[in-house]
Amino acid sequence: SAAEPAVAPTFDFKGYMLQKAAIVNRALDEAVPLARPERIHEAMRYSLLAGGKRVRPVLCLAACEVAGGWDACAMPAAVAVEMIHTMSLIHDDLPCMDDDDLRRGRPSCHRAFDEATAVLAGDALLALAFGHLADPTSYPADVSVPPDRVVRAVGELSRCVGAEGLVAGQVADLEATGLGTPIDLDKLEFIHLHKTAALLEASVVLGSILGGASDDQIERLRKYARCIGLLFQVVDDILDVTRSSEELGKTAGKDLASDKTTYPKLLGLEKSREFAEGLLKDSKEQLSGFDPIKMAPLLHLANYIAYRQK
Amino acid sequence: SAAAAPAFDLRGYWASLISEIEAELDSAVPIRYPESVHKAMRHSVLSGGGKRAPPIMCIAACELVGGHRSAAFPAACALEMIHAASLVHDDLPCMDAASIRRGRPSTHALFGVDMAVLAGDALFPLAYQHIVALTPSPDLVSRVAVLRVLAEIARAVGSTGMAAGQFLDLSGASCGGEEDVVLVLEKKFGEMAECSAVCGGLLGSASDEELEALRRYGRTMGVLYQLVDDVLMESNGGAGKLRSNASVVTALGMERALEMVEELKTKAKHELERFGDKYGDKDAEFSPIVVEQKLILLIDG
Repeated sequence: SAAEPAVAPTFDFKGYMLQKAAIVNRALDEAVPLARPERIHEAMRYSLLAGGKRVRPVLCLAACEVAGGWDACAMPAAVAVEMIHTMSLIHDDLPCMDDDDLRRGRPSCHRAFDEATAVLAGDALLALAFGHLADPTSYPADVSVPPDRVVRAVGELSRCVGAEGLVAGQVADLEATGLGTPIDLDKLEFIHLHKTAALLEASVVLGSILGGASDDQIERLRKYARCIGLLFQVVDDILDVTRSSEELGKTAGKDLASDKTTYPKLLGLEKSREFAEGLLKDSKEQLSGFDPIKMAPLLHLANYIAYRQK
Repeated sequence: SAAAAPAFDLRGYWASLISEIEAELDSAVPIRYPESVHKAMRHSVLSGGGKRAPPIMCIAACELVGGHRSAAFPAACALEMIHAASLVHDDLPCMDAASIRRGRPSTHALFGVDMAVLAGDALFPLAYQHIVALTPSPDLVSRVAVLRVLAEIARAVGSTGMAAGQFLDLSGASCGGEEDVVLVLEKKFGEMAECSAVCGGLLGSASDEELEALRRYGRTMGVLYQLVDDVLMESNGGAGKLRSNASVVTALGMERALEMVEELKTKAKHELERFGDKYGDKDAEFSPIVVEQKLILLIDG
């Protein structure tokens, strides 16, 4: 309504997501041509182009926009974070890890191909992510992105996805499973901040760096991303308890049946909801001070993560 | 002049570089939480007394084109992380199923398959992080050169480089003719050496022409190194390490393998001749004769 000037009332979030996802999908398709040897490129494309809402690349483009940059400046980073997200899913699904046969309703990469090809496709996507981000020819010739910004972006991405980031979260998660006892709140937060939030943080921070944000703006957007990263997981935990399998499109109550530690198990449902509300509020606070029109996508992305029904 | 060149103490050069490389790698991969994966990373990178051929190649190439060693050092160490990460994944049960590496248990044999996958996944980005954090840029190396190094490494390990080599090797390309076998060797072993030489050149501000010569030299050396390994293994009655299914000796016979060793040596020396013309008089350390010694040490080492 007109009483809330902070929100652009006419913003079409659904249309925004669809439009950005479409340009991201096109860029992903072009970034992985079917070169030789074809089989390994087929495996990369199979997992990378399997669909999904492209939340990470859209966050990256939206953060670039907030900083005043063009989509084209951040597209190599948007492509890179989606490649790394896909790579982590491929390796996570392997028999030696979570041993999942299905991913996004289709056979997982090692089921559709084989284990060796899945390991190599993941490694190749990880390499391509960094190569695409660093390569000057990934950027449009008519828009100048200073090399120091790109170097800084590579540094951020490498920190967020390595043993201090994404991998740390996966290891802590692996080690927490099968203990037979629930982990404490600090450990749970560590897992989610690393396993989920780190790549969202990289998405937003890379977008803002490439868009030309100031150090202060970058740090505020980093906090925003960490809040919505944790929020994403708390909401996931709550939905697992409150929704049916039919509503979720995946098995509900899975966490409750397993020994997996969740926020509702540690805090109870009511306190978990309060925690989620607090994270949403904190994330939005980081956005005050930015141009209300330009920050609308990030604001709506936070709401989307908080209020999604599956 | 060339006559002064043999005085260059190559083994000393190599040995002193290795101790510096070990020290930097030791501090670059500390034990921190979660300890399991950091221990697996350290085991992959530090144990076993490797020859550190990629870093040496990188530093030597940088110095060959007149660059300062400190410009290349962080990238040189990063190349060893990349090398280690790809070996950890190549050794996995679903690939070469190697339980021994450099005379010690391979990473998955010691830490589990899951931890080996993750140690590799973490070492790749650590290499890029190391380059960005420690390369003296923009003081000695331009930002653009740093980006070219990062892109070069990513290309070399990617789906048309080392990952392609491992894929082709696993899919039985070694049973094909000479062209197929050489392609596997070029991808699986030539890429790493090529990338190391090119990165050294980039960090030493080499010209485009010099970079292309270093690219061909590095690729030739990588294949040569593996070829000599195969020849030596065959001479030892098959005892030794099995690093590839694509053995030229097995596929094409010893006679052809020895011929190819000579062809590749000639090619590698030829690529270095231009540097002899340019730097030979200024600095005997980098005359082609010394570089040939380096080549021999790489093989004998």
